[in-house]
Amino acid sequence: MRAPLGAFVHARSGDKGGDANLGLWVAHDAHAEYDSRVSWLLATVTPEFVRTLLPEARALEVEVYALPNLGGVNVVLRGLLGRGVAASTRFDPQAKGLGEWARSRYVEIPEELL
Amino acid sequence: MPDRARAIRIGNCSGFYGDRLSAMREMLEGGRLDVLTGDYLAELTMLILGRDQLEKPELGYARTFVRQLEDCLGLALERGVKIVSNAGGLNPSGLAARIREIAAGQGHSPSIAYVDGDDLRSAAPQLGLSPGALTANAYLGGFGIAAALAGGADVVVTGRVTDASLVVGPAAWWHGWSPTAYDELAGAVVAGHVLECGCQATGGNFSGFASVVSTSSTDEPLGFPLAEVAADGSSVITKHPGTGGLVGIDTVTAQLLYEVQSTAYLGPDVTTHLDTVALADDGPDRVRVSGVRGSAPPEQLKVCVNELGGHRNSVELVLTGLDIEEKAAWVRAQLEPRLTATSVTWSLGPVPPPDADTEEGASTLLRCVLQDPKPEPVSRAFSGAVVELALASYPGFTMTAPPGNGTPYGVYRAEYVDRSAVTHTVHHADGSTEVIR
Repeated sequence: MRAPLGAFVHARSGDKGGDANLGLWVAHDAHAEYDSRVSWLLATVTPEFVRTLLPEARALEVEVYALPNLGGVNVVLRGLLGRGVAASTRFDPQAKGLGEWARSRYVEIPEELL
Repeated sequence: MPDRARAIRIGNCSGFYGDRLSAMREMLEGGRLDVLTGDYLAELTMLILGRDQLEKPELGYARTFVRQLEDCLGLALERGVKIVSNAGGLNPSGLAARIREIAAGQGHSPSIAYVDGDDLRSAAPQLGLSPGALTANAYLGGFGIAAALAGGADVVVTGRVTDASLVVGPAAWWHGWSPTAYDELAGAVVAGHVLECGCQATGGNFSGFASVVSTSSTDEPLGFPLAEVAADGSSVITKHPGTGGLVGIDTVTAQLLYEVQSTAYLGPDVTTHLDTVALADDGPDRVRVSGVRGSAPPEQLKVCVNELGGHRNSVELVLTGLDIEEKAAWVRAQLEPRLTATSVTWSLGPVPPPDADTEEGASTLLRCVLQDPKPEPVSRAFSGAVVELALASYPGFTMTAPPGNGTPYGVYRAEYVDRSAVTHTVHHADGSTEVIR
């Protein structure tokens, strides 16, 4: 069903020069389906998924690194911030809110995980 | 002398230049610590310090750290807590001198060491770095700090060491780690990375904030984090009792995933394999970090280079009510012929819903950002052009603030140099120096 990614996924985002960094991981909220949620997240978050989730990144190089030990992934969005924090003309030049934007986006999530 | 039988307790009291001024005192008074660290340097901060130093060569360090030490140096000495900070920025020797003055003025005589060698500005052309760089600093590791502590320092100030080195150095000193103890060093890097952004480890900037609000007293500000780092490099992340916020697996994961790149986290002392980190609950507000594996660091050192990118300015125009897009189009058409900056970027906020029952709800912002190599096209020429439209443009013309004079901006980029290009040096309190590797 359609639900916000943030229904059970936490996020933190930031900048590294002109690249944005986005960590996504499954909340430790004592839900019975924690392991299935992690498997779903790891299988779902691909560069293509991120480009659809965040249309402002649709033309960018996106890298996804799996961290199953932390129940999540690290995503690097190359060049989202232009030439870096001080030079960026973006609304949020340090990508501080990028993670919360990602969490607010609606995606298809298997109902049993919600 | 370090008691190696137990873990070293390392606190953090600053995640950036401008963080809570009272945190140093809070961390010293709130519980037992062996070392209190503070991170004051971000990429952008180096640029700010570089511009400070252009005006006053004796500056170039984080001045808030000086104010904190004026308040807390005596307290730290009395409690036997060593202070380790990268507040030296572009001028660690100047900061060390300033702290000696403060100490003398207060009747203290602490042992103050500083670490430098990271500043590559003077050697930039020979190293193939941009000759126009405003700042160029190699990211140094923790062994300079370790040597300074082994030399008896009560206060250690550095230039651009990695944020994690502020924890790696004290832990390596305490436990006597060798430079090839990669697993231990990697464990300390993880602890350091979790601590380096202050309250981001204790519930700040955390998407699970609702659990922080519901479980922690809102009367107390979020506490700053501390790590108990054991001899094998494993650690427990926690905070002082009675402070606000919480330390849990999710708050620690949040900080672990902050501003990292691949699963191999590269640093000057060790490559840390983030896919080996294991987190476990260790009681209330305690998270155990174990299993971390490290391997040899990259051959080259990363260098933070900041160049003057140009000048910028911006304005936010408020658009209200009907015909938002038409209003935006008209004011753009009026302004654009008068803007001479090389880069002009417009962005329009969301169109407000119809029939809004507050004026704010019926309004949105049109942003205009200008950039140019020279200051003139973004300063008065721009603000004049905008302000002159106040009575001569779309209905309801107003701004969130009038445009200022514009500011210079920097461009950060990473470069890499051979280790041999850098002389990582400890300046001990007795005036002697020691070169690391």
